[in-house]
Amino acid sequence: MDEGSPRTPVIEMRGVSKRFGSTQALEGVSLELYGGEIHALLGENGAGKSTLIKVMTGVVQPDAGEVRIDGAVASIGSALDAQRLGIAAIYQEPMIFPDLSVAENVFISHRDRGRFVHRRQMQADARKVLARLGVRLELDQPARGLTLAEQQTLEIAKALSLDVRVLIMDEPTASLSAHEVRRLFRIVHALREAGVAVLFISHRMEEVFEIADRVTVLRDGRRIRTAPRGEVTTASAIRDMVGRTMDDFFHRTPASPGEVVLQVKDLARETAFSGISFDLRAGEVLGFAGLVGARRTDVGLALFGIAPAQAGQVALDGRPVTIRSPQDALRLGIAYTTEDRHALGLVLPMSVAANISLPSLARYLGPLGLVRFSDEAATARRYRDRLRIRTSSIQAPAEALSGGNQQKVVLSKWLNTRPRVLILDEPTRGIDVGAKADVHQMIDELAREGMAIILISSDLPEVVAMSDRVLVMREGRQMGILDRSQATQERILAAAMGQDERPGPPDAATAAGTLGGVAS
Amino acid sequence: MSGIPRLLRRVQPEQLREIGLLLILIVLVAFFATQIEGFLSGRTFTRISTSVAVIAVAAVGQTLVVLTRNIDLSVGSIVGVVAYVVGTLLTENPELPAYVAIAVAIGIGAALGAINGLIVAYGRVPAIIATLGTLAIYRVVLVELSGARTITTDALPDWLLEVPRTTLLAIGEIDLRLMAAVAILVVIGFQLLLRYLPYGRRLFAIGSNPDSASVAGLPVQRDVFVAFVLSGTLAGLAGFMFLARFGNITVVAGQGLELQVVAAVVVGGVNIFGGTGSMVGALLGAALIDTLQQSLIRWLEVSEFLRDAILGLLILLAVASDAVLLDRLRNFWARARRRSPTTETTAAQEPGSGL
Amino acid sequence: MASEPAAPVASRDRGAAMGLLARLRSWEGLLLGLLVLIVLWNATSVSGYLDPRNQINLLTLSQEKIIVVLAMAFVIIGGEIDLSVASVMALAAVLIASLYEGGTPMELAVLIALGAGLLAGLNNAFWVAVVGLPSLAVTLAGLIGYRGLARLFIEDRSIGGFPGWFTAITRDAVLGPLSLSLLLFLVLLVVAAVLLHLTGFGRTVYVVGNSRDVARFSGVRVTRLKAALFVMSGFIAALGGVLIASRLGAVRGSTAEGFELDIITIVLFGGVSIFGGRGTMIGVILSIFVILNLRNGLALANLTGNTQLGVIGLLLILSVLVPNLIATARGRLERRAGDRGAGTGQGPDPRRADSISGTASG
Repeated sequence: MDEGSPRTPVIEMRGVSKRFGSTQALEGVSLELYGGEIHALLGENGAGKSTLIKVMTGVVQPDAGEVRIDGAVASIGSALDAQRLGIAAIYQEPMIFPDLSVAENVFISHRDRGRFVHRRQMQADARKVLARLGVRLELDQPARGLTLAEQQTLEIAKALSLDVRVLIMDEPTASLSAHEVRRLFRIVHALREAGVAVLFISHRMEEVFEIADRVTVLRDGRRIRTAPRGEVTTASAIRDMVGRTMDDFFHRTPASPGEVVLQVKDLARETAFSGISFDLRAGEVLGFAGLVGARRTDVGLALFGIAPAQAGQVALDGRPVTIRSPQDALRLGIAYTTEDRHALGLVLPMSVAANISLPSLARYLGPLGLVRFSDEAATARRYRDRLRIRTSSIQAPAEALSGGNQQKVVLSKWLNTRPRVLILDEPTRGIDVGAKADVHQMIDELAREGMAIILISSDLPEVVAMSDRVLVMREGRQMGILDRSQATQERILAAAMGQDERPGPPDAATAAGTLGGVAS
Repeated sequence: MSGIPRLLRRVQPEQLREIGLLLILIVLVAFFATQIEGFLSGRTFTRISTSVAVIAVAAVGQTLVVLTRNIDLSVGSIVGVVAYVVGTLLTENPELPAYVAIAVAIGIGAALGAINGLIVAYGRVPAIIATLGTLAIYRVVLVELSGARTITTDALPDWLLEVPRTTLLAIGEIDLRLMAAVAILVVIGFQLLLRYLPYGRRLFAIGSNPDSASVAGLPVQRDVFVAFVLSGTLAGLAGFMFLARFGNITVVAGQGLELQVVAAVVVGGVNIFGGTGSMVGALLGAALIDTLQQSLIRWLEVSEFLRDAILGLLILLAVASDAVLLDRLRNFWARARRRSPTTETTAAQEPGSGL
Repeated sequence: MASEPAAPVASRDRGAAMGLLARLRSWEGLLLGLLVLIVLWNATSVSGYLDPRNQINLLTLSQEKIIVVLAMAFVIIGGEIDLSVASVMALAAVLIASLYEGGTPMELAVLIALGAGLLAGLNNAFWVAVVGLPSLAVTLAGLIGYRGLARLFIEDRSIGGFPGWFTAITRDAVLGPLSLSLLLFLVLLVVAAVLLHLTGFGRTVYVVGNSRDVARFSGVRVTRLKAALFVMSGFIAALGGVLIASRLGAVRGSTAEGFELDIITIVLFGGVSIFGGRGTMIGVILSIFVILNLRNGLALANLTGNTQLGVIGLLLILSVLVPNLIATARGRLERRAGDRGAGTGQGPDPRRADSISGTASG
């Protein structure tokens, strides 16, 4: 190619848009990746990063815009198309075959290696590929038992062996130790030397600034800025990321919280989180903020007994309690609404009424364990009216409802257990504006009625608007609790990224890096 | 922490399972040798090896299917159909050459296996339901074909009846019969297929992680289909051997054989959740079960009705040990290996453990 | 399939779910139509076929099977399967026969047989619910093992000569044309329908069958429920064993062999999903009548018992295959229609770090 002319990007997105229901996930996003560059993609949760990746890997099709490979318009209709075009993605949890050997994992997708498996040849080739990455693995051993970092390396090797030209790395360092991150960076550098375009997504600012050649910031599905690393500072990047307005947000009714209901001290669970301590008062909303991999959900699951904590104390109304199972939690008056409505929150084919009564079913049983259907229906109607659940009938199956209304059913289901402590995990993710406002109003009402609420949310404006205090987590560690007056989006995000500007304890986050677990 | 000797580190838990089976087999034989007079004889070997041969051939096919997280319960009926059809064919055309008879046996097996494969791989019917259904259907085909007549030994050509009595190789008192040799050949052949053909490796991949298999673009449906076809084909060969061995074929021929075969596979260390296992293991499983059954009956002088009770118990123990013991062992192995100096890893993270 | 890796799984399931939903509405209707057709067809070849006594006679001849069908419906709706029922039936029948032969009073022998069924059920329950092995493997071992046990007791003999009151249970009419055992079946049928559709227990069976995870996240004791299903199945199977001993008046090692095929087929053909969580007792009852009349019709057409079994096998496959194919076709149509506008975008991303997928499935 002529030295003087501008280089053609390996992959180029032009004005790509994608809408999911009422959410505009991407709006006219353009992005160019050049061979031999490491390009960092920054953005809050929900900024559109995952959708962008899905467009590039053929998982979703854009509504508008085009993708060009080497300057020519390409259609990526499937994962196989992406593979053929040399686009590969590595996720936090690698997709490997635990029972196949390391070498076989590298070559299992290859179709051009002859009629027989030449073990020696395959191992030699695998060794070569791994050598390009500067790592050594026992090639004839099954992949089962490799560390997460080694599994990632294996996936990178697999991509490399398939002549990858664009490698997307989605939070690859989230669960790695500092040492493993160093090795991964060496590999990423090796890829750059080999002319691969790397799209690197991470919430760790220091990593981004160490490794990236260029940085792109997404916010609300739009590209805010693309700039060479030298022109970006932590502060400017954070400013770009949080530029959302809060005008259309709900305003809490001012009230003073009551007695302490829930006390948590030094709560910890193996590889997930440790050192979580907070008090929660009646009528208080405690926001849990943090980025992907902050392990906020794990704290919620521990308090609900799904994945019980292994250390630390929990006290309810001053009395120490142990929560080993959801039944324990329910008995103690702790309810948890899951972020994953479909897989964990609702029995989709069952009626709205049956879903609402499920955790409190015992209250609706008459003699001989017969369900008192009229009581059940009355309850369901009450919640339908109170939360404005739009459904043709309370006997309609939950799967017939829209996302927002499903979320209201989930809320009803748990409110009906009459909890003292309500843990809401991403209660407004993926629901429309109207339903979102209803949920916010509900939270406010419940707090006024004296319920103690934990609000886990990745929606920063929501956390800021709805919370009395905000607990910020980063990689399983509590970074601090911010009062309402301190809790600005910038402060929260800075803490969540381990970029607290105040002089404080020596960066706890670096140490926390080693604690990132695997099972998430 | 180099608690595990270097040599042992080369051994995989699966191979350990095979070595374990072999040891148990040796211990069993040694034990029964002290208990039963004349146990260690050529006759015992011939009897057990001939009866194991039929099971082992079908078990090789079953292994292919189980590796992909499926199961083929119709093999008993396929054996019956093939034995009957080929038997009839040879009764009516005694001049038919052997290779034609064998080709017919294999062809029928393959066709019936293909039906299973279509229903499971492309119709997405769970294998247990599909093959439970074809188990009944194939048996009915047999009944309809036979009109409840039986095939008798004296109507069959002599060469066929000679097959089970043919000795290939005699070492001292021990005769290696033709049927046992065929079984060993099939085991070795398919062991090589599993190890050296991309298809074989893909079977492991599919059973090991079906989700990754589709993401990685492997032809999952086609591979599962072919596994069923091969299972049917080998059941066809087993059906021919069954005919040669017994001669008298009724409509119940091969009934319940599928249970023996599944038991052999499971006891032989082929994981019922797919992904791990070997043909050698399946052979050892078949040998172990047969030895245990036959010897226990001789030793305790109980009726042969002990067979099924033993079989059920062995399956349960094998599945349980697979799920509980072997998983721990694998993880322990993996951890021990990583602590060893040859890999340069430091962190002790265990993917997927602890839950 | 290979073209859609992670995210669209949710939407595909949803497509299938909608197909199944539509099917639920029409499946019972289809069965009813089928039943009318078969009965009319049979009536044209045999006079007096429409006499209710004929239907009662059909039920009588299969009572031990259809009583187990009731329990199997619970097991399959709960998301599991019990292949060992026929062997438990045999074990119970053989225990009665050999105990009675050995001088044990018949009443006590029946109680012991029922107890053995409970134990067999407990054994299955332990391995499936507590240890967490797949019910398929566990009950396959049970299918072989329990029959093996039965054979140990009876070997190749046939034991009969039971007291008159015992055989009368299934043979003598006590209420109109109904025998005591058929009355028991009708009572159990009502109990099963009420239990499944009107009680908290039945509600939880559906919930667990639909999704263990949702059940767990809603505070349902999943282990206990699954254990209860297998214990119930073992006990009812033993009851079926008692009935078959009574009805046939003699027991052999091969008694009830292959019955699991009939039983599972009736349940699935009744519209119960093999994947759990869906199905109704009405459908199961209709399915009982359809299949009994169909077998009767085949017998009238001079087809042997074995051939009938083949038809049952075919029905078994079709009852899963047909809904699958319909769901696939529907899913394709929906995807074509809804690809542009109506994407939900709420499919859980399985790779999100904060997600609980690991803990939920572990």
